Amino acid sequence: MVSRTRCMPIRAAIVAVVSLAAALPAGRAGADEPRGFLETVHKHITLTTTVPDNGDQNPYALVVAPVSAGKIQAGDVLVDNFNDLSNLQGLGTTIVDFNPSSRQTTLFAKLPRQLPPCPGGVGLSTAMTMLKSGWVIVGSTPSNDGTTRTKGNGCLLVLDANGQLVDSWAGADINGPWGNMAVTDNGSTATLFVSMAGFDVPGPQVRDPATGYPVTIAKATVLRIELAIPPGKPPAIKSRTVVADGFGQRADRDVFLIGPTGLALGADNTLYVSDALGNRIVAIADAMTRTGSAGTGREVTQGGLLQRPLALIMLPNGHLLACNARNGQVVELDPATGKQLYAQWIDTNQAQSPPGNGDLFGIALKPDGKGFYYVEDDMNTVMEAR
Amino acid sequence: MQHDTGPRASRRGLLAAAGGLAAAVGFTARAAVPEAAAPKPRSAAEDFWGVHQAGIVTPAQQHTYFAAFDLTTGKRDDLVALLQTWTAAAARMTAGQPVAPAAPDAYAAASDAPAPGGQASGAPASGGQAADGYAPASDTQSPILDSSETLGQDPARLTVTFGFGAGLFEKAGKDRYGLAALRPEALVDLPRFNGDQLVPARTGGDLSVQACADDPLVAFHAVRQLARLAYGAAEMRWAQIGFMSRPADGGTPRNLMGFKDGTQTPQQIDKVVWVGDDGPAWMRGGSYMVVRRIRMALEHWDRTNVGFQEQTMGREKLSGAPLGLKDEFAPLGLDRTDKDENPIIAENAHVRLANAVTNGGAEVLRRGYSYNDGVNFTAERWPPWRQGMEYDAGLLFVCYQRDPRTGFIRIFENMAKFDMLNQFVTHTGGGLFACPGGARAGEFIGQRLFVAT
Repeated sequence: MVSRTRCMPIRAAIVAVVSLAAALPAGRAGADEPRGFLETVHKHITLTTTVPDNGDQNPYALVVAPVSAGKIQAGDVLVDNFNDLSNLQGLGTTIVDFNPSSRQTTLFAKLPRQLPPCPGGVGLSTAMTMLKSGWVIVGSTPSNDGTTRTKGNGCLLVLDANGQLVDSWAGADINGPWGNMAVTDNGSTATLFVSMAGFDVPGPQVRDPATGYPVTIAKATVLRIELAIPPGKPPAIKSRTVVADGFGQRADRDVFLIGPTGLALGADNTLYVSDALGNRIVAIADAMTRTGSAGTGREVTQGGLLQRPLALIMLPNGHLLACNARNGQVVELDPATGKQLYAQWIDTNQAQSPPGNGDLFGIALKPDGKGFYYVEDDMNTVMEAR
Repeated sequence: MQHDTGPRASRRGLLAAAGGLAAAVGFTARAAVPEAAAPKPRSAAEDFWGVHQAGIVTPAQQHTYFAAFDLTTGKRDDLVALLQTWTAAAARMTAGQPVAPAAPDAYAAASDAPAPGGQASGAPASGGQAADGYAPASDTQSPILDSSETLGQDPARLTVTFGFGAGLFEKAGKDRYGLAALRPEALVDLPRFNGDQLVPARTGGDLSVQACADDPLVAFHAVRQLARLAYGAAEMRWAQIGFMSRPADGGTPRNLMGFKDGTQTPQQIDKVVWVGDDGPAWMRGGSYMVVRRIRMALEHWDRTNVGFQEQTMGREKLSGAPLGLKDEFAPLGLDRTDKDENPIIAENAHVRLANAVTNGGAEVLRRGYSYNDGVNFTAERWPPWRQGMEYDAGLLFVCYQRDPRTGFIRIFENMAKFDMLNQFVTHTGGGLFACPGGARAGEFIGQRLFVAT
């Protein structure tokens, strides 16, 4: 597959500039030093389609391979699909592998829809990582009809570097593993943070009479999973600790599920969580070491440029980048001060209103730290911003 | 019925013709269609017999009735007889005559050409037959020879174009007619393209019939007669009506998205369309037809602004000119960039991805029609995933090429993945058919395929 430069539609680009200008404090324009990361990003390039031969759609998780192992080359971009051929959510079973050097995209893994150890089967979510030991861990938040009405609790699946399933992890504290993982990986040990957004979520037909929306259930958690990885053997769970809980989660007919989605670790062991329903970013202190839940933590920033934040990444400059669900923007913010710097339209597709509404989800920093990959659910593609 | 449209001024007619021959290529239409190809008056008759089947490079008529048939007979002789009967009937109807002369005896006698396999029936010569072809009203016992709804109609430039699907050669592992070894390499099974939502009930078929005419009744009449004549040998699998409305100035017709469709057409028809010596003898002078029923999310499209529609398409909506230019027939200028060096015509714009330059020179001759089948319940496939009663309307895409592997498949593999327009269109049916070369008077369509074995 060829790479191609994507042209930002002209009108959308203007909107972006206006929006950016609006977010800049007066008098700071023209400073020599970049204030943040996004202003160094100018190009948006379509890299590949994410649709494999079985027709799976709706790319969610994006992971850059840290090492070469099995079928994977270091620097490859792994992408999983949440929807099946018919665009039913929670039925996607595939992970594709894009190699930036060859521009080739291959099928990395195709999992069975029904998998007895994984309650409800397989519908791959945004929770995915690849460890330095070569193991790939991916969440399943499955459905049988594309809605939460038939949602199963799901599980975490462990694959080897050739895409073969070797283990699955389920349990009372695993229900709807949903958002992008935050990970520290020391090789023989690793720590995963996974948001769980499925506890007691009914189908989207169950409405809250006060709001008219499906009911919000404040039971979502963030689970910390400590792993031991013996040489040549799959990772084994040493401990599981709920480090945050009480986040809102809600069924949605269009987007399946709304709940805490983005996770990113700061240098001081603070875990940042995008609370989508709260339209905010919160901080969980001492996330690596705490022995209990911090509840919903400390609010870092709320509202402003955030429009239902989804996946989060930590940038080299210590800032956070959050994808918006309700428009095609990413928002850069400084977690130390809680200040939102600006937003950039990375998906300007006016087939949605506002442009890019519903298109963004997964995001991953490029290995050189100078750009990032992101998915576009409207076109089922992986994009590169640089 | 009287037609009020007389012969058009040749220039207007020429432009209309160019519009009908929609194409995915980078040359201007003005030079592409020779004067000789200008459409005849609405009331005129097209030639049926010839080196090529009519209805391929024939300037597009305003209406089509496409039908795909499944063969139900297991006998080769029945298949041959069907093709003979269809050929004779199509030749007569093309000439504006009823499907058969009044008496069966007269019909049989009309053929003086021996048919393969010792069949007595054959193809009557076109023209020159004055028989009215209808059973006398008093003769209620006679079999129906023609359903009569076009009684008194002009030929309306009717063309009937026949195609052979893969099922003619082999179906479910069975070589029903001793033809499996003769299946051309180019008659591949179309791959599954990204985004395909093909419905089996609107996909495939062993035989195809594309009837086109400047009158919708004439087009339907033709298929109706052929379907009846096929009783016992083949049955209808699916059908699709299409239409094309021309602007009063004779310019390029617009599709249901409101954009001119068909500004560009291949310059080298012989090279692009007709199978040459590289194909089997029976396909020489023939062409491969890809048909796709493409539903458009018109409600979704209608809620987007024109600027975005133009960027998606890569053309100006009103003039049809390449984005940022004024002349409809100007070269696309794909290398043009703005001050930030972003391309004026977006990398994933429809016209760029369809263009020969983007596809290693691959070209097809498009001959599509709009379709409109009312409304039904649907769920849009893209954000914001609207659900409800929506128009089942769009494009009956038809294209012809000498080899689909280097034509439609080559072009559409990429478009199916990246075309911005995909957000508004869904392919719901279609097929690939090998349309044999034309028949000379006395032959039947595809005769050389059967002679070959």
